[in-house]
Amino acid sequence: MKFNLQKIARSRKLEYSIFIFIVLFLYNIIFPMHDDLPLFIIHETLVLAASFILFEYLKDYFTSKIVQPIPLALNIGILAASIFLVASVSKYFLTPSNSNLETRDFISALFSVLAIFIIIGIVTFIFSSLRELFFLRQKKDPSVYMNTMLIFFLFTFFSNIFVKIDPDLDFIKQSFYVVSIILISLNSLRVSWIGFLPKKQKVYLILISLVLIVVFSFNFGEISGKEGFENVVSSFSPGLLTLINLIMLYGIIFSTVVFFTTLFHLPTAEAFDRKSEEVSSLIDLTKLITQVFDFKELAESITLLTSKICNSDASWLLIKKGDAFELQSVNNIGYLEADGLTKFILGQNYEMEEGVTIISRNSISPFVKNHSSQFNFDSIAFSCLMHHEDISGYLFAARNLEIKYDDDDKKAISAFANYAAVALENAKLIEESIEKERMEKELDVAREIQRKILPHNVPELDEYHFSALFIPAFEVGGDYYDFFKLDENNYAVVVADVSGKGISAAFIMAEVKGIFGSLSRIFSNPKELLVRVNDVLKDTLDRKTFVTSIYYVLNTLTGKLLLARSGHTPALLCSNGVIQRIQPPGIGLGLDYGSSFENSIKEMEISLNYNDILILYSDGIPESMNSNMEEFGYERLEKIVSNSCHLSANEISNKIMTELTTFSLDNSQHDDITLVILKRINNNN
Amino acid sequence: MADFNVNLRGVGSVSVIDVKGYLDAHTAPELENMFSKLIVDKQFKVVVNFDQLNYISSAGLGVFMAFVEQMRDNKGDIKFSNMNDSVYNIFDLLGFPVLYEFYKDEKEAVNKFSNLG
Repeated sequence: MKFNLQKIARSRKLEYSIFIFIVLFLYNIIFPMHDDLPLFIIHETLVLAASFILFEYLKDYFTSKIVQPIPLALNIGILAASIFLVASVSKYFLTPSNSNLETRDFISALFSVLAIFIIIGIVTFIFSSLRELFFLRQKKDPSVYMNTMLIFFLFTFFSNIFVKIDPDLDFIKQSFYVVSIILISLNSLRVSWIGFLPKKQKVYLILISLVLIVVFSFNFGEISGKEGFENVVSSFSPGLLTLINLIMLYGIIFSTVVFFTTLFHLPTAEAFDRKSEEVSSLIDLTKLITQVFDFKELAESITLLTSKICNSDASWLLIKKGDAFELQSVNNIGYLEADGLTKFILGQNYEMEEGVTIISRNSISPFVKNHSSQFNFDSIAFSCLMHHEDISGYLFAARNLEIKYDDDDKKAISAFANYAAVALENAKLIEESIEKERMEKELDVAREIQRKILPHNVPELDEYHFSALFIPAFEVGGDYYDFFKLDENNYAVVVADVSGKGISAAFIMAEVKGIFGSLSRIFSNPKELLVRVNDVLKDTLDRKTFVTSIYYVLNTLTGKLLLARSGHTPALLCSNGVIQRIQPPGIGLGLDYGSSFENSIKEMEISLNYNDILILYSDGIPESMNSNMEEFGYERLEKIVSNSCHLSANEISNKIMTELTTFSLDNSQHDDITLVILKRINNNN
Repeated sequence: MADFNVNLRGVGSVSVIDVKGYLDAHTAPELENMFSKLIVDKQFKVVVNFDQLNYISSAGLGVFMAFVEQMRDNKGDIKFSNMNDSVYNIFDLLGFPVLYEFYKDEKEAVNKFSNLG
């Protein structure tokens, strides 16, 4: 039953209260006089029910809104003033012939009931508003105090019945009344929300509360006065009169408390404003950390927020770039001024602690004099941005006012600098990782180019089987190999390695390909070719870059090949399982551009018999390391080759790679690996 | 990351650079800086002592190529000493002995400068 009532009450409070108001209205029409006790009690109950359900409805209405104290207080004032208006108007029209109530005519009765309804509505609204202010910014739930007060309001309301029964029982009503007032006074003290108002609103609130005190006092006087409106309400329902009386009193007490509290809060209002500005600036910064990844934008926001946080007129930010500090962004100060001033201040070698250093105008006066600039700063504060015990930047703030930076300002700047350092570091890391990603994409492109530059196929010859293998390192290297068909019977093979790694090596490698490709068709002699290549490279290579190469021309008719080497790893010739290192003298391309180069190169002629194998490779193979930093080495390579002489060119290539991979299994590949194998086959067998 | 250390000391009018550890593309700038400094200080007679060097890559070799010309133009040189076999093989393969002087002993290299005056 109770549950159902609650449910109904909750879902249709407005309809329900309107319904009771209509019932109350009809009741008043049917029983214009309700002096009999049962009729009186029913009437009082109806009045209370109507007010209560309206109050419940308004409670829900306020819950659904975000309450702002100032507009709410203003509302209360306007409503209280309108009570005064309604009361005055009805007093004027309804001055009743107080002894002879029966003579009241129907219209006047109707009017008085309507006026009372309006009053009930307004008073209920005022009370709901006061209740909202009571609950505002309360950390613990204070509803028990509010409910106790409501219960005593109820008692006071119904104690009028005792007065009705016997005027001597007035003391019951009086005692409830007094307790209610005490509770009102206690509840009026819950005004902590005032502290959170900005200074401007506090000033405003003082004015409003003054007006409220006046208006509520007028209303209180109007209602407790023994003539006029008091009679109208009292004859309608004495309980209602008591209730209105209490609520007006609540209004007076509450407004008075608000007035004095606000007055006492006013001197600290500015400090409080500043604190809340600091907090909101820190919140802004936290938002920035998560939202702004652009370093420049972040630096500018930090500079702007610095001024806000410590109430300064100008601020600027320095960031460490390389070994020096660079002015990153300025707020409300010229770039050159800030730069000069900073250099001057940092040149003074202040003892830098982890905290904030304050500089007075006197300390910078030499600078101001020298530069005759229009500095108005009286006080400058600055803090280091720390990152892993290193100073990653400086944050400066300056004030025009003759107010020095105090400890609170110092704390604020210091805290802000710490946050800012993290935020900037964060943005820097993100920028770097984006940059790294971009670089990796570029490396991918370079790797792709490198692959495309290298030949896709090996020459297919009857007696001579070629096998070529290229495995790039993670970093792009500068390995290069190629085959050129010089004429019907002569084929040239080259393996080269550009010193260094990365994109620069890849570019030079592409150039080397172009040079070899074009010159090999003109100069068929290996030594001559290398000398020419060296001449051309003179204009392209920087002094610390060199290229090693090994180049041979194979005559397919005779099986003879002419080989020249410029600083490259020796070729391996495997004949019947016997390994011979082919290492004719010759210095690397780019080591010398004079006669030393030409003089150093000696050609070597080799006769390739059936089943002989000639292997060219880059230093990526012998220099491959395992996790113990041991090199794969030439001996290991030679042993593998000598043991696999009977295999085909491709099989030997696979064999070498398998062994190499097993050897350096747990170590990453540092250099490109190139392997070009030639095996002469006797097709007549 | 492999360690690399470079140390400079003067023996008479000759600057001796001790290199130690692994000289590759990542550590080469350290040696480059040392050479740049020597050029600024007009110290053109340099002996590089390889006694404690374990490994050298092509980028490491490039450092000497980058500076040798300047040293020679100013009547100086870069000479190498105390190289172990594996490091020497790398220099040798590339043909450095054609262009540079290698000595077993640092003293020998330093004296070579003095003899020339």
